[in-house]
Amino acid sequence: MLSMSGANEPLQRHPEAGVSAESDSDPSATAAAPDPARAAEADGEPGAITAAAPPRTRVPRTIGLAAGAVVAVAAVVTVAVLAGGGHDGDGDGKGGQGGTATPAADGLPHTAVEVSTGSCGRGWTSPHPGTQVFDLHNSGSGASEVYLADPASGRLFGELEGLAPGTTRQMLVDLGSGTYAFKCLQEDTDAITGPKVTVPGSTPRGPSTLPVTEHDLIPPTLAYQQWIGARAGDLARGTAALEADIDGGDLAAAKRDWLSAHLVYERMGAAYGTFGDADGVINGTAARTPGAVRDPSFTGFHRVEYGLWHGESAASLKAPAAGLDSAARALRDGWSQARMDPADMGLRAHEIIENTEQFELTGRTDYGSGTSLATARANLDGTREILSRLRPLLTPRDPAVPQLDAALDRLQHALDAAGKGGTWTPLDRLGQAQRERINADTGDLLEQLAPVAAIFDVRRTA
Amino acid sequence: MSDTPDAVGDLRRRGFLRGAALGVGTVGAVAGAGAAAAALTGGPAQAATPTPSATPGPAQDAQFHGAHQAGITRPAQQATAFLSFDVTAADRRELTELLHTLTERARFLTSGGTPKALGITGPPSDSGTLGPQVPGDALTATVGVGASLFDDRFGLKDRKPLRLSTMPAFADDDLDPSWCHGDLSLQLTAPHQDAVLHALRDIARHTRGGMQVRWRLDGFSSPPRPSGTPRNHLGFKDGIANPDVADPATADRLLWVSGGGEPAWTTGGSYQVVRLIRMLVEFWDRVSITEQERMFGRAKDTGAPLDGSKEFDTPKYPQDPMGDVIPLDSHIRMANPRTAQTDNSRLLRRGYNYDRGMDGNGNLDVGLIFVCYQQDLARQFETVQKRLAGEPLVDYVSPFGGGYFFALPGVRDRSDWLGRTLLS
Repeated sequence: MLSMSGANEPLQRHPEAGVSAESDSDPSATAAAPDPARAAEADGEPGAITAAAPPRTRVPRTIGLAAGAVVAVAAVVTVAVLAGGGHDGDGDGKGGQGGTATPAADGLPHTAVEVSTGSCGRGWTSPHPGTQVFDLHNSGSGASEVYLADPASGRLFGELEGLAPGTTRQMLVDLGSGTYAFKCLQEDTDAITGPKVTVPGSTPRGPSTLPVTEHDLIPPTLAYQQWIGARAGDLARGTAALEADIDGGDLAAAKRDWLSAHLVYERMGAAYGTFGDADGVINGTAARTPGAVRDPSFTGFHRVEYGLWHGESAASLKAPAAGLDSAARALRDGWSQARMDPADMGLRAHEIIENTEQFELTGRTDYGSGTSLATARANLDGTREILSRLRPLLTPRDPAVPQLDAALDRLQHALDAAGKGGTWTPLDRLGQAQRERINADTGDLLEQLAPVAAIFDVRRTA
Repeated sequence: MSDTPDAVGDLRRRGFLRGAALGVGTVGAVAGAGAAAAALTGGPAQAATPTPSATPGPAQDAQFHGAHQAGITRPAQQATAFLSFDVTAADRRELTELLHTLTERARFLTSGGTPKALGITGPPSDSGTLGPQVPGDALTATVGVGASLFDDRFGLKDRKPLRLSTMPAFADDDLDPSWCHGDLSLQLTAPHQDAVLHALRDIARHTRGGMQVRWRLDGFSSPPRPSGTPRNHLGFKDGIANPDVADPATADRLLWVSGGGEPAWTTGGSYQVVRLIRMLVEFWDRVSITEQERMFGRAKDTGAPLDGSKEFDTPKYPQDPMGDVIPLDSHIRMANPRTAQTDNSRLLRRGYNYDRGMDGNGNLDVGLIFVCYQQDLARQFETVQKRLAGEPLVDYVSPFGGGYFFALPGVRDRSDWLGRTLLS
């Protein structure tokens, strides 16, 4: 479902950041994984970001670069500009003189705070509850991550990634009563925890959760990788059966076996980044231009689907079926060498269904079988598979897990209603109420999954 | 911004809309476990701090809180989106939660403020398309309920407003079912399109599980050209003769529902009619000015009635009994004959132009989102609509969608919510 040819490139992933089952991972090495966009930014060449990224590329959230957080922070940076950017330059000026919150154009209290290995958190001297902004100035020599944490529990209330030396950026937080401390994590340096600061009163605390480290994610990633390996075996058996049907001229059996095999692959959706180019060969789509389905580069499940449901002969489908089977076997045989990136686990948890909504619920990937909803159902299984492995980490971090579970059940129920007896209703035959039900349950589930991805942004703690 | 601790705490215990946990004071806090504990235990849910705009005060609240929804009497603004939703909430409890969420979002969006800081617990709570601070600006969000909401899904059968029904097809209609009716209506208006779209995006994000858009049409109101009432796509000033609802007596007589055999919960609401009317502008542009003006009964340039010289002149029908000057079948004369008997059929029009691209035959797909409000559907809109049957103008327009809704009573204060009188 995920790989699109032509203008629709598959989502780009980071092949270089991976976990090996054979050796302990080295967080610092992974953190240093090259990221063209980030390097360009540090070099002050914003133009290079565009040049390095194809149009539909989503910047991967690698370790040490939480895209979601960057977006959140970017949203408030403007405020500093509007407010006059008065906290740039000598960052410890106000802090050193008492650190009182200063009203700004955004109507929020601002506090200037220093970030460096020697002065992490300096300047926060008159703590108060409520929504407020910390103007974080990096007076050190290297880029730094900054977290606002509860030092006792380790819960994080705010973060700022990649604060460059000499710059000031904003951290918007919602603080209740309790004890906090800034953590400054300069690259290649141990984490520094600043002075403990207590916000007085009895105001309930704002949103926070425990960070997830790469170390936390290695066991579930390995377990998931192993599960995928087993499914790759199922997949190869399925494509072999499909090929045999076509070789024997039994196109009715081929349609049945096509669906079974395709759904096996769609349940594996969470691993598509790791499949690399194989995904395009196995599950790519054709361009929308006339005749594109005849393009030799259009291969795999959807090529076979097109033929089976458009009256092509068994003879003409032999080559596409053999090609699919060959690709599936190659995937199975090569899987032991694959290394999944633990940082991708959280992303997959929401991106599988994001892709379902984008490609299945629009019918973009339907080449005649009318089984988009069966694919959606398989994608839901794939999401559950990921979540089951993340659950021990998720449950203590996300109070909304019960709602998430309910949303998964609702969508499953809605989809199953469209596939009674193994016969799937094509999208365009759904009644309006049924279509709205599926759209509502998919949309709601995606809203519930978005925080999961945010929580599983990999963070350093030491 | 602030919320109602009791209502919110209750909502969190139920909570099927995760989106509802994002973005506003106490509600947003639930996304974090610490605050969730407070909400779940029913404790004071005033978690951390809701974040009002730089200068919070009654002036901003006044835009949202009141006996009536603010968007009804507010003159047309530059930009609008009109939406009909089908409710996908499973039962009455979820419908109640949906309307709480809708209220919370509308209150925040119309009042403005700093979007909730979620820390590391989720993606940003706001799209940021209006910048880091949401300006309340002059956004309005007007919510209505359709007759289908009163079927057997939510146990509301016995609470249907007396006059609320499914909009029938009138004589010259060509209704497309996919552009008609709906369980809920929502009209957003603002001085700028980005604010309308921002609000729509926010509301949809928080309510995906509870309602789905059935149809949507965006519109705009033109600036005065060169003065006075804005013009429609036919080039005529549209909405000149609205009743003066700033006069409380007029509003109480023509606009607001109160008593008259209506369920008590409807007091302060108003019947809302929306009609999506395609205008065949290419055809229209090939019609002589005399014929155009005689169809409307007004001068195209000034907007004056054909027996007058200025836009707001009152037509003198008694002096023109045969329609020699203003034809008897002209739009303004059929719509509002200005007699004592027809005075109580007047209604409040809030129309917007729409433009939705091109039709398959190469013509512009443009027209009018006709919205009107009244105390009594039968006495007002339906009476006027029936009077207009067969008017010459019908050759140049084609009503293809819309519906009847009942605009809910206003949200009185911070503890109130849209639909409270209906659902509790």
